[in-house]
Amino acid sequence: MKSISKLIRRFVGIMTLSTILFSILNVAFFAIVFVKNTSTFSPWDMADHVAAALLLTDDCYCISDDVMAKLKEENAWAVLINNDTRQVVWQTDNLPNNIPMQYTLSDIAELTRGYVDGYPTFTGEAQNGLLVLGYPKDRFWKHTRASWDYNFIADLPKNTIIILAINTVLIFLIYVAANTKLLHSIRPITNGIQDLSSGSPVCIKENGMFFELAKKINKTSEILQMQAEQLRKKETARANWIAGVSHDVRTPLSMIMGYAGQLKSSKNLSEIERKKASVIVRQSKRMKDLISDLNLASKLEYDMQPITMKQENAVSIIRQVVVDFMNMDIDDRFPIEWKTVDTLSACYINADKDLLKRAISNLIQNSINHNENGCVIYVYVNDDNNTCKICIEDSGIGASDEQIDKLNNTPHYMVCDTNTTEQRHGLGLLIVKQIIKGHNEEILIGHSEYGGFKVELIIPK
Amino acid sequence: MNEDYLLSKRILLVDDEQELLDMVFSILIEYGFQNVKTAKNVKEAMEQAEKSRPELAILDVMLPDGSGFDLMEQLKKGGDYPILFLTARGEDDDKFKGFGLGADDYIIKPFLPKELLFRIMAVLRRSYKGENPLVCLHDSQIDFSCAEVIKNDEHIPLTAKEYDLLSALYRNAGRIVTIDALCEAAWGDNPFGYENSLMAHIRLIREKIEQNPSHPVSLVTVKGLGYKLIVEGK
Repeated sequence: MKSISKLIRRFVGIMTLSTILFSILNVAFFAIVFVKNTSTFSPWDMADHVAAALLLTDDCYCISDDVMAKLKEENAWAVLINNDTRQVVWQTDNLPNNIPMQYTLSDIAELTRGYVDGYPTFTGEAQNGLLVLGYPKDRFWKHTRASWDYNFIADLPKNTIIILAINTVLIFLIYVAANTKLLHSIRPITNGIQDLSSGSPVCIKENGMFFELAKKINKTSEILQMQAEQLRKKETARANWIAGVSHDVRTPLSMIMGYAGQLKSSKNLSEIERKKASVIVRQSKRMKDLISDLNLASKLEYDMQPITMKQENAVSIIRQVVVDFMNMDIDDRFPIEWKTVDTLSACYINADKDLLKRAISNLIQNSINHNENGCVIYVYVNDDNNTCKICIEDSGIGASDEQIDKLNNTPHYMVCDTNTTEQRHGLGLLIVKQIIKGHNEEILIGHSEYGGFKVELIIPK
Repeated sequence: MNEDYLLSKRILLVDDEQELLDMVFSILIEYGFQNVKTAKNVKEAMEQAEKSRPELAILDVMLPDGSGFDLMEQLKKGGDYPILFLTARGEDDDKFKGFGLGADDYIIKPFLPKELLFRIMAVLRRSYKGENPLVCLHDSQIDFSCAEVIKNDEHIPLTAKEYDLLSALYRNAGRIVTIDALCEAAWGDNPFGYENSLMAHIRLIREKIEQNPSHPVSLVTVKGLGYKLIVEGK
């Protein structure tokens, strides 16, 4: 999973940055401490200073009061060993009792390097002797056997880098080893959350360190699935109810349309009676269209209408719809003008042929329904580089800006989630919008240059 | 055009709604059909089919003792004649099933009488084309049985493409047939790119059926959309 590798990358990044930061901080800290300790005070310097301050006058050694005061302040003692006799020839008043007064060469070598009876000692060269400065036992620690191989010193930078690199690798390996189990435990959890968001059922093993989380996710999935199933059942029941009602209405409506149609063309009836029959036929046909629209709109709304996309010639499809209307319009009140340029015989788009036909039919039917006194309907297809534009406009009464705004922005009552008594636009346009939505197309509703209504469908090729 | 021979065809009408049967019966009789029999279920339909040997059957899909699709298969065993479905079941799956089983048309209720009659006549014309003596045009006649045009007592043979195109136009006589539908009728499923060939063939047909091909009266152009065959007496 992508997020796991991202997690590891993030950790390595943080770890590297932390290491660098800590190294810098540590070096800085030690540098500060070292400088602070060494700059203010050095026992070797002190020994040299005391040795220099010790003066021989008239076979007697004396030292200035301020140096003496400094020694006392440090709680240090000092002796001067004569070069020839190797006996103590001068000493401070605070000399501990067990400090020897006679030294052999090996004693001197020992005290120079380390301690005298546990007291850390430092030496300085004085006149005719060696000044030994002793500090309290717990004041200094002395490294008595310091010796470094030259190669070791020369290789120190290289070895330091190698050791650091090994350390880094080891830390990473330790991290991976320590976190592999954690990642293994997290993986099903993250997978489960991803599946939840896609609506798939989730069943994670409820064990490991995240068993409580897994349990909650499983429970959430169960609730979501149950809700989805209930929603699906409701939607199916609603769509089936609409389909069932429309099926049951079809047969009685057939009889109304059939008999009214016969009466409309009956020669035994008067003109007025035939007109009344015409109204019944017309209204029955509206009901027929309404049933059909209601059924399709409900199916499209609840995704029960499969959309089968194929490469289709838009010109051919629209031409067939126009011709079907022209063949139907017997009294010629709604002439349709085909305005597509003669040179455009094909414009291939990815579409569901039947649904696109239905959308165009609805738009032409809208022009017919809303213009009782008849109008000219203009239809054309335009091939515009990457898009195919299908335009249906008319010379009818059209619509005001406010009405067009409502058509563009107000949802139909069938898909509106608020209670309202306001009359919405017909199902025909809703179906067109649903079909267009299913095709990822664009619909533009506006005024026609011919004075009426204009709808433009923009379909990517 | 003399279509009386089609009106004499025996029609079997099957629907479980008596009132709908009566209405469709009256529409057909009023139009001029002389032999219309009705049945309310599969059993009656089979008996009637044996007795009257129909030449066209109009079936509902949902019948009390069986499905219209099954009935169609049984009827087809008794004779090869066209079958239409007239049903309230408008689902695509039902339509595909009907056509898949060999139905000639599928009409969804509710319907206008004119639409029903047009579709019945279109199916009959297509199915019994060979029986038609002559199709009368303004300046000539078409004899589909001999694949020829008779103009000024001269018999002019039709080529295969001309015959296909005229057949498609005749099936929809009086109605516009799109350029695409005509190309499909003549050149099959992928008709794109044949528009110019179609125009050439239309010109040739006009030379055969029109007195003045430059001013056609029987095969008229509907600009940008298609062509319409005007048949005399229709």
